[in-house]
Amino acid sequence: MAQTIVHDTHATHGLTHHEIENLRPDDLRSARRLMWVWVDTGLAIFALMALLGVTMRAEQAGWISFGPDVFYSILTLHGVGMISAMALATMGGIWYMMRLEGPLDERVAYWAYGFIVAGVVAVIVSVFPGKFGAAWTFLYPLPFIGATWAPWATGAFLTGMMLVSVGWSIWCVQLLGCIMQRHGSLRNAMGWDYIFHNRAFTEAGKQPPSAQSFAAMVASIDGLLTGAAGMVIGVALLAHLFNPSVQIDPLWAKNVTYFFGHAIANLTIYMACAWVYVGVPRYAGRSYHTSVPLAVAWWGTLIFVLLAYFHHLYMDFVQAQALQYIGEAFSYLSALPTVVVTIFSCLMLVYRSKMRWTLGSIFIYTGLIGWVVGGIGALLDASIPFNNNLHNTLWVPAHFHTYMLGGVLLFVLGFVFMMLEERTGVASALALRWLVGTTVFGGMSTFLLGFYVAGAAGVPRRYATEPPPGPHVASWATVGAIVMLVGMAIAMIEGIRMATTKPQGRLS
Amino acid sequence: MARGPLVLPLFLVLAALAIAVMIGIALSTRASTLELSAIQERAYALRRWWLSALIVVFAALFAITIPSFPYLKAAELTTAKHVPVTAEQFAFPMPAMLPVNTPIVFDVTSKDVNHGFGIYDPESRLLAQVQAMPDYVNHLAVDFKEPGKYTVRCMEFCGVGHAYMQATFEVR
Repeated sequence: MAQTIVHDTHATHGLTHHEIENLRPDDLRSARRLMWVWVDTGLAIFALMALLGVTMRAEQAGWISFGPDVFYSILTLHGVGMISAMALATMGGIWYMMRLEGPLDERVAYWAYGFIVAGVVAVIVSVFPGKFGAAWTFLYPLPFIGATWAPWATGAFLTGMMLVSVGWSIWCVQLLGCIMQRHGSLRNAMGWDYIFHNRAFTEAGKQPPSAQSFAAMVASIDGLLTGAAGMVIGVALLAHLFNPSVQIDPLWAKNVTYFFGHAIANLTIYMACAWVYVGVPRYAGRSYHTSVPLAVAWWGTLIFVLLAYFHHLYMDFVQAQALQYIGEAFSYLSALPTVVVTIFSCLMLVYRSKMRWTLGSIFIYTGLIGWVVGGIGALLDASIPFNNNLHNTLWVPAHFHTYMLGGVLLFVLGFVFMMLEERTGVASALALRWLVGTTVFGGMSTFLLGFYVAGAAGVPRRYATEPPPGPHVASWATVGAIVMLVGMAIAMIEGIRMATTKPQGRLS
Repeated sequence: MARGPLVLPLFLVLAALAIAVMIGIALSTRASTLELSAIQERAYALRRWWLSALIVVFAALFAITIPSFPYLKAAELTTAKHVPVTAEQFAFPMPAMLPVNTPIVFDVTSKDVNHGFGIYDPESRLLAQVQAMPDYVNHLAVDFKEPGKYTVRCMEFCGVGHAYMQATFEVR
């Protein structure tokens, strides 16, 4: 049975209708078109990378055999491609929301998009036909020693990573500029007076930044530092490529690489948060406003995202011990803003509400579950005594697939269906929601459980051929992945149907 | 100590609890609707309690885990039997036999790229590990309590032969 969408009266994308009406219809349509370009590109890359992912699990299960060189090339592309896909989708979404709050030049956004897509293309070329296979981590000096690929492929890969970093940085600068322009200064954008001079702030009739604005601000500030790190390590490795006498300290390279990789992957879920802040209140029929705890939580996230990365180097005993302590402490701390503010607030909004359970809301809500469950796996791994036995086992892909696939991707899909439901004015049929829910979440749980079980058993990650019980576990995990992708294909067909159906919604 | 087998049930219990709470809240939308203002005060009180509880748990966890950190003190380095290991693509040249119940420190480095030095006990449980990095030496302390055949596997992606990079040694 189809469900008719009843628009809530509180907000549209977190803004009042009065504010959204300040945008000219042409500007709104244009901004929305740009947003779909980013989101659709992200989802298209995701689909391709997901197929590569299943192929790798099938290889580990022993169902197919294409050899370790091809496996590691696919692994490299899968890692870079997936992070780029999720980044593209969330960047498009958050750009659109900030466009609703203030002016943003679309040409700059298209330049940023172009750099990132060009970077992804360069990475694809480095892998096919270049056969580059040093994983997304490209830990120095791996790309240069014992390589089974030509030096040009290393150059293409590093250039691709640099282009992605450039595009990412352009996006960060543009977004940060927009936020500061809207709020007058960084101090205002961060809600300083709202937090520390709350009474005077409120009595003056001022409004704090929106919740999604905080997400955008943290993403853009941390993103600038992350992008800079990506470019620094890229330049260093390119310098070594062209002049091998240029020596790089391997520990320094490892720190910079993981700072870059950890932060950019971590930020995608915080960027997707912007959609959660809009989607959950909207479906629950309740309003959600910026509060002091929310502002403080985002300040925490701003710092914690940057300092938690040290947990990637726990097994480098030569790393200064103080940094290992910081890694564990900040990994724990990074959970607080999420579970105490964002997720808690969402649960409060849903509890005993008139929640409309459409595909959009189901995806967003289960995304919250994936975020929590992945976070539990990550926190256990971030505890040094456990990390001693889990580091670089399949436990690592277990928890990051849980919050990337079961968190970020589901938030993206939730946002996409929220927009489509708004467009058509009708939600998907109940039977279809059950079908998609059962296949996607059933398959995903099976797929993810395979990583956790094998990781706890000590099976190392990034093995083309795994020791027992790896192949056995990979067999049923692959079945789960296939079921999940079938469910996602059904959702995609439904999405295309909704996108091409004659609009009935108010914002058509 | 192999903590891998312990972590899975712990994770499953915590994850099941979290999922149960969130499904419960989702199901609450089938009950009669409440105004947000009717639950807000209790929810904020609960949040304060939740924040305090998490801070206590994380602080305790941090304190409890510190004694189990694998980083050595200078005294431990001087009293143990040292075994140098220089990893290389795709092998771990090392002794074929090591003594049981003897404090051993593996001095692990690499000749070429980053590797991981992971020791699996005779039951194939991951016992201990450390990174093998060029230009640096990491010291990993292990006291083998059980005799038997141990396996070393590479724990850091190091190239096309990564999955085949292993060694075995006997503990007597």
